[in-house]
Amino acid sequence: MIARLIDWLHDRTGIRTIREVLFDEPLPPGTGWFFTLGSVLLALIGVQLLTGAFLTLYYAPTPDHAYDSVRFISSTTAGRLVRGLHHFGASFMVVAAALHMLRVIGFGSYKPPRELTWLSGLGALGLILAFALTGYLLPWDQRAYWATVVTINISKLAPVAGEMVAGIMQGGAAIGALTLTRWYAAHVIFLPAILIAIIAAHLILMRRKGISGPVRPRPGPPTAFFPTQTARDVTVVSIVLIALVALAWRGMPAMEGPADPTDATFIPRPEWYFLGLFQLLKYFPGKLEVVGAIVIPTALGALLALLPWLDRGPERDPRRRRVTIAGVLAGVVAVVALTTLGWRDKPVSAAAADAWSMRAIGGRQFAATAKCERCHSETGMADPLDQVSLSRGPEWLTGHVTDAEMIAPGLREPPTPVSEREAAALVAYVRQVTSQRYPGYPAPIETAAGVWARYCVGCHVIDGDGGKDGPELSHIGSKHDAATLRGWIVDPEAVKPDTDMPAFGKRLKPEQLDAIAQYLADRK
Amino acid sequence: MSQPVDSSVSPGRRRALVLLVNTAVAAIGGALSALLGVFALKPAAAASRDRWIRAGALADLEPSVPAVRVLVVPRVDGWYRARAPQTVFLVWDGKKDVRAVSATCSHLGCQVHWDGKDSKFRCPCHGGVYDRTGKVLEGPPPRPLDSLDARIDSADDTVLVRL
Repeated sequence: MIARLIDWLHDRTGIRTIREVLFDEPLPPGTGWFFTLGSVLLALIGVQLLTGAFLTLYYAPTPDHAYDSVRFISSTTAGRLVRGLHHFGASFMVVAAALHMLRVIGFGSYKPPRELTWLSGLGALGLILAFALTGYLLPWDQRAYWATVVTINISKLAPVAGEMVAGIMQGGAAIGALTLTRWYAAHVIFLPAILIAIIAAHLILMRRKGISGPVRPRPGPPTAFFPTQTARDVTVVSIVLIALVALAWRGMPAMEGPADPTDATFIPRPEWYFLGLFQLLKYFPGKLEVVGAIVIPTALGALLALLPWLDRGPERDPRRRRVTIAGVLAGVVAVVALTTLGWRDKPVSAAAADAWSMRAIGGRQFAATAKCERCHSETGMADPLDQVSLSRGPEWLTGHVTDAEMIAPGLREPPTPVSEREAAALVAYVRQVTSQRYPGYPAPIETAAGVWARYCVGCHVIDGDGGKDGPELSHIGSKHDAATLRGWIVDPEAVKPDTDMPAFGKRLKPEQLDAIAQYLADRK
Repeated sequence: MSQPVDSSVSPGRRRALVLLVNTAVAAIGGALSALLGVFALKPAAAASRDRWIRAGALADLEPSVPAVRVLVVPRVDGWYRARAPQTVFLVWDGKKDVRAVSATCSHLGCQVHWDGKDSKFRCPCHGGVYDRTGKVLEGPPPRPLDSLDARIDSADDTVLVRL
């Protein structure tokens, strides 16, 4: 029955030739496991295209919603898996492409008549990296935002067209809505279209000229792709996909907070496959930066593109192409070494994110007094404050806590006015509570934090946060005890007549003075 | 056209390889289809829940005269958090009891209005008519207007409606 249907279709469409094209590809005898890498890459591209297409069901490419929509995707098991496959699939693609390329180099497969197959493959590798770069921005978290800042700034270094290219990549006056839609369009429309065209060309060329096979041609007739080589391909593809699923199952790295252009504490790091490049930049400071950022990578790309014309002659055995192989090996060692160095060179500030800053603890105090609870409560219009999760940038949040019209246009009487410092503390609080439940601090610390966030933070720094007009107080407790500090805060001029610090004896209640003095004295 | 043949493969081995290829392809295709199917068809359930919303002061209501109120209700629509306006009528009995009736006609979803002359709710679309409690008097509506939980907050004499 099915056979008759296929016969009927074949008479009208020639459908059986698909089978011939797919499975009866003649292979040189001795084609083995090394020649499965192209199929692995093809399978991974398929997974990326499929998972990517499905992710667009929920993803929204706007600064206001991108972060929330990605968080929404990650809120179900299926979503986490699909996103995980897409995320780790990108890394797998880079590795598979690199291995495929090394196999081609090792076997001398780029030699005539396959130079154009080689070039199309190289083009596909460049596209894969472009995919990685553009996809990285889309979650619109801190990591994404700052990596993109770096990418766009690097592109500015390119001679002649650098500024123009950066402008095209950025879209608007700053990295924002226009950048995001641009990179999104590139990632889901333009790059896939080009990649599919290049891969099609690569495969057509591969079929037209045949695959290169073992370095020393073996006697015998060509063998069919199906079933032996197909089984090899399918086996390796299955192993790779199982590994990919396992990684996706283990889970994605947690999202950072939403993109925040004002946050100077975030240290951007690229995805691991760009760490080598990242490390390279460190060796070319100042004006030389263009060498590391543009010249060396471009030269490397050009060298690879010219390989078929540099490594001439019909010899394909790597043992007889010592210069080429040594050169490529040196390149591989350099890339691995740079990547490892970049990997090891981790920023140390990561630990600070766990502890609550005094500003954030103080912000929690203000939230209780600023009537936030009128709406942020179980019976209110918005989620209770300890359950909110921040999905907008700091400008929005500052506006939200200071401007009644923005909070609820035309609906509410204005809430208690909020000062600039209180607003900053509220922003710090909401940012912190998004990633971590309030752990609970002793009452004196909370009291001290309220004082700190309203007054001290204007001129003094603790743990890197605060104003620079007064001395840093992170370790003030090693110099003075609580009583001395209390006396100083009550009336600084009594201790040091020419000080600029105002007196707080009348502004603060005794318990507030005790709390802040004790807190500072404990900072050894 | 002469096809190349894999003469090194015995029929038994060939069968085993074909089985391997078919199984693997079916497993990969099946797993991927199932995952993507679930992902596409079952988005995360919205975490929307009912809330008691303040619908205005009791002092603004007249006994037994439905008063229209537009309440702003927070709605979670996937990743999008919106505030959806929703029209309700508050009906106060003049004493301790207050009812809230949805303004959405039970027929095809048009918004009904209160006709003070006849003391009836009228739907502008297909002529549905309801009494002040929301009971159908005339026309196509299949059931009464939805009534919503409502209560008076005795602390400040405001009406709360659950939406």
